[in-house]
Amino acid sequence: MSMQGKMLQDINLFEFADFDELQSEHIAAPRYSYWKSVWRTFFKNKFTVGVAALLLIIIAFAMIQPLYSGYSPIETPNINNAEMKFLKPSREHIFGTDNVGNEVFDAVWAGARNSIIISFVCTAINMLIGIPIGALWGFSKKMDKWMIEVYNVISNIPFLLLAMILSYVLGAGMKSLIITMTCTEWIFVAYFIRTQVMIIRDREYNMASKCLGTRIWTMIVKNILPYLISVIMTYVSRQIPLLISYEVFLSYMGLGLGTTNASLGRTISLYTSYMNGYPHLFWIPVGVLALISISLYIVGQKLADAADPRTHI
Amino acid sequence: MSVDNKEKDVIEEKDVILSIRHVDISFDTGHKKKLVAVKDATFDIYRGETFALVGESGSGKTTLGRAILRINPCSAGEILFEGKRISGRISREEDRNVVRSIQMIFQDPAASLNERATIEYCVSEGLYNFHLYANEQERIAKVDKALQDVGLLPEHKSRYPHEFSGGQRQRVGIARAMIMDPKFIVADEPISALDVSIRAQVLNLMNKLKAEKNLTYLFIAHDLSVVRFIADRIAVIHLGEIVEIADSETLFKYPIHPYTVSLLSTVPMPDPVVERTRKHIVYDPSKLDQSGEKREMREIRPGHFVLATTKEYDDYEQRVAELEAKLAAI
Repeated sequence: MSMQGKMLQDINLFEFADFDELQSEHIAAPRYSYWKSVWRTFFKNKFTVGVAALLLIIIAFAMIQPLYSGYSPIETPNINNAEMKFLKPSREHIFGTDNVGNEVFDAVWAGARNSIIISFVCTAINMLIGIPIGALWGFSKKMDKWMIEVYNVISNIPFLLLAMILSYVLGAGMKSLIITMTCTEWIFVAYFIRTQVMIIRDREYNMASKCLGTRIWTMIVKNILPYLISVIMTYVSRQIPLLISYEVFLSYMGLGLGTTNASLGRTISLYTSYMNGYPHLFWIPVGVLALISISLYIVGQKLADAADPRTHI
Repeated sequence: MSVDNKEKDVIEEKDVILSIRHVDISFDTGHKKKLVAVKDATFDIYRGETFALVGESGSGKTTLGRAILRINPCSAGEILFEGKRISGRISREEDRNVVRSIQMIFQDPAASLNERATIEYCVSEGLYNFHLYANEQERIAKVDKALQDVGLLPEHKSRYPHEFSGGQRQRVGIARAMIMDPKFIVADEPISALDVSIRAQVLNLMNKLKAEKNLTYLFIAHDLSVVRFIADRIAVIHLGEIVEIADSETLFKYPIHPYTVSLLSTVPMPDPVVERTRKHIVYDPSKLDQSGEKREMREIRPGHFVLATTKEYDDYEQRVAELEAKLAAI
């Protein structure tokens, strides 16, 4: 009883503390920025940074070196000089010389340049056409009905047959090779994007946007594509090496670039016949091709991983 | 708000804002059979009231709510908003008008916000779509105001949804709906995904905004104690059919339809002694009139409707009379 009496007395000793209710709404965590987090995650891994640096050096070298060497497969100044043919790699001839006495070093980098340019341009074209069409395709059920038929028709054309016909019609060359590798490839990109869009199209936040009167294009740009950055990057990181190997394959088959242009595919196919006597002629361009493809793939994959916000914590 | 006040409000202005007329909603399941989610729903919602739609999961309450927002098409019947038909094909202009006037608060605040957009964009989205601002400054001022109205800070604008707690996210969802200056709001279980500790906060906020902005709510829920707290009138929906509509207090005092009775018997009581001895009433549709007569909504008392055949109606009438006598005796 006395205890309670004391408590009643003591109540007067207390008073309400001032407090700001809004203070509890404050978020103390540092501000989140998507792209900053992407780069931070990407650069955290030393191996990835190393591969990315290597890739950059290779690409830069492939872009710049041919400008100085002025290599052309039809210029053969040393063709009558037997001493300059089939030299092993040495200090003067880094990758050795080939059957017509040209530097393999120059041939490989001139080839790599064209192969890289072609694959980058083709990937860019395929993505620029494929992503918007695929996004609309995934959104619109009406469009899906006829687009799927278009896809069935186009995807069933044998690629090699198409490449052969196009190279006969358009002639050999960089332009026709780019047309060959884009005229049907984009629909595979579009199909891939369509499937991805369909997965997230009916999520609740898209319904919320619809309730706010958001138009389809705004929805694609603001609600759908940001979620697809990571999967698109994965796709690109597969697409670029794939298109390099397409180019090599087509050039190897004689359907790619003409005799006047260097390319990795042509270089490899030319040197294949000397594989037994002079294996370095074959293995050096193949090695450079592998190095480009693998480092592109690794960097692309790591970038795609970093673009996924689930890795940002 | 006391009960007396609520009833008076309803009686004073019976201005119908939304009316649902014999609405059926069905889905193609891919087989020949169609899934009928809502059957012959008919009710009116008056301006300024909170109308609750209660039922178990899968009863079609969300489907009906989404039909009002034109997400799910009606397969029969029509929905009128302020006297104009908004179901089926309507002109683009009217569609824009409906979008502005009817907004929705979603069940799961985590799923209904765009994770890759800042809060500023999430809240401004409606403003952008209808260009409801003269210049950038006005837009930012409006966003700040909307955030403050729901108890958030303007500094939250540059944050992303995943940085917020569940209650804060739900309030962002409310701010996003309110910034459009809607007249009617469909709240689809707005608190069932929230922590119990912040449910009251969100409900109180909704009530505050309703009073300030003169809103009408359609409150979809399965939690009856919440419904009793917030709703003026309640419709009970079972397997796509509305079985009973009444004022909130009337429904709790005189539940008529056996399904309503069993639903009310499941409300947990915060008293262990009562809970232990309480008997849950199981709804048994086979005890209903099996004569095959088509059930209709019948008004058993003013403002109190129940789905019944003629025979059932007589039973119910008797039951109400008994309950009234019992309550009068106390």
